[in-house]
Amino acid sequence: MKNVLNYSYYPGCSLHASAKEYDESTKGVFKALRIGLNEVPDWFCCGATPAHNVDELLSLSLCAKNLSLADNVEGDLAVACAACFSRLKTAQHRLTENDIKRKQVETAIAGAVSLEKPVKHLLEILAKDYGLDRLADAVKKPLNGLKVATYYGCLLTRPPDVPELDCCEAPTIMENVIAATGAEPVAWSHRLECCGANFTLSRPGVVLNLSNAILASAKRAGADCIMVACPLCHGNLDIRQKEIEEANGTRYGMPVFYMTQLLGLAVGVPAGKLGLDSMIVNPLPLLKEKGLV
Amino acid sequence: MKNSKMYLSTETMNLGFVRKVEALSGSSVRRCFQCGKCSAGCPMRTFMEHPPNRIVRLLQLGQWERVLAGRSIWYCASCETCSTRCPNKVDLAAIMDALRKLSWDANGPSKESYVQLANRLFIENIKTYGRQYEMRLAAVFNIKSGQFMKDFLLGPKLLTKGKLKVFHQKNRNIGEIEQIFSRIEEMRKKGEAP
Repeated sequence: MKNVLNYSYYPGCSLHASAKEYDESTKGVFKALRIGLNEVPDWFCCGATPAHNVDELLSLSLCAKNLSLADNVEGDLAVACAACFSRLKTAQHRLTENDIKRKQVETAIAGAVSLEKPVKHLLEILAKDYGLDRLADAVKKPLNGLKVATYYGCLLTRPPDVPELDCCEAPTIMENVIAATGAEPVAWSHRLECCGANFTLSRPGVVLNLSNAILASAKRAGADCIMVACPLCHGNLDIRQKEIEEANGTRYGMPVFYMTQLLGLAVGVPAGKLGLDSMIVNPLPLLKEKGLV
Repeated sequence: MKNSKMYLSTETMNLGFVRKVEALSGSSVRRCFQCGKCSAGCPMRTFMEHPPNRIVRLLQLGQWERVLAGRSIWYCASCETCSTRCPNKVDLAAIMDALRKLSWDANGPSKESYVQLANRLFIENIKTYGRQYEMRLAAVFNIKSGQFMKDFLLGPKLLTKGKLKVFHQKNRNIGEIEQIFSRIEEMRKKGEAP
């Protein structure tokens, strides 16, 4: 069967290692929806936070290099990781606005900067390009009764002019996407707060503090689980959850899903192909209770 | 201090440094009128000795050395909340990037070494491999920071979950990244790039 849409794909470093279940489930969902996804060959790291933290020119050059590599593959560029998405979009904005920086980057990559290809987060592709109605029609196993805390984190919506995904203070795109599967998004306080991001390596104490507030808020709102669209958020909320519980003398037992894992369950991707066994907080008791596996 | 007024002028400000920060960040430092919205929304303020609005104030008052020597700039998470909410369109997140670069280029007068070490290793990994080699990043960080037991129990767990890739292939086009690094270095030597 022919694909209804086609994209080039930039997975980012995490999706080939610590977030491999995000990669696996993304491919599963896109295949089920008949959306083509062709990985950009030989892509490089986008530089993430450490590069722009200390060296803007390096950060912009790495992103410009990746954008020019992406030009070799047909279709808008689909990005799964919120941090890669933010860096690539930021580079497009800065290099469009600033001629001096663009010339420096062109010298660094020894070629013209290519800024034409739209860079899109998976959420945008599913909600806008594919469409919420079509998504709802594709649901084979509704996630009825599952209360989901949709966690945006920082970079999907901020700063307001860069991601062009949704409103920076009151977004609804994640809620809309998960509601299309029949799940119930809960109203909660911490969906836009920072999880501590890459301090997980240098200063994990920061993560134990900030991510604790997020887990506590989701629990207070009566959520069964948290849904994320960023490997760093997932690492902090899932991988460090036990440590957070110990440090704060509390217990959450809150499964943290990538959005594509939940969507995959709904559109009929076999549970074995969603990387559920890679999650540190075991989601199976919850999914069994709700009759979803 | 009755009727005391504080004037900002080119003398109090060290205009040269402020201009450097403004050029690097593409944001005004002078436009800030200290409403404090940035610090009100900053998730990292409790970890900083100077909250974000005070950092801008110190720059306006010519006390940039205190900013560069402190740890606050390294405790910014780049969450962009400050830049999102500033009523005067001061892009504080970009100013933080500029300050970190100035501190980094001056060989780090700041005492905050762990964040700088993590950044350095992350960038070294890009130069060596093309993509991030997460396991090496964590292992080398622990060795170089002397925290040999950090996340000792987490490692094996991640291994069994398949989340740690032990072997990591270099990009076959790694030469292109090495060239980007060396061209940037060359531009800087010639004074053509900051």
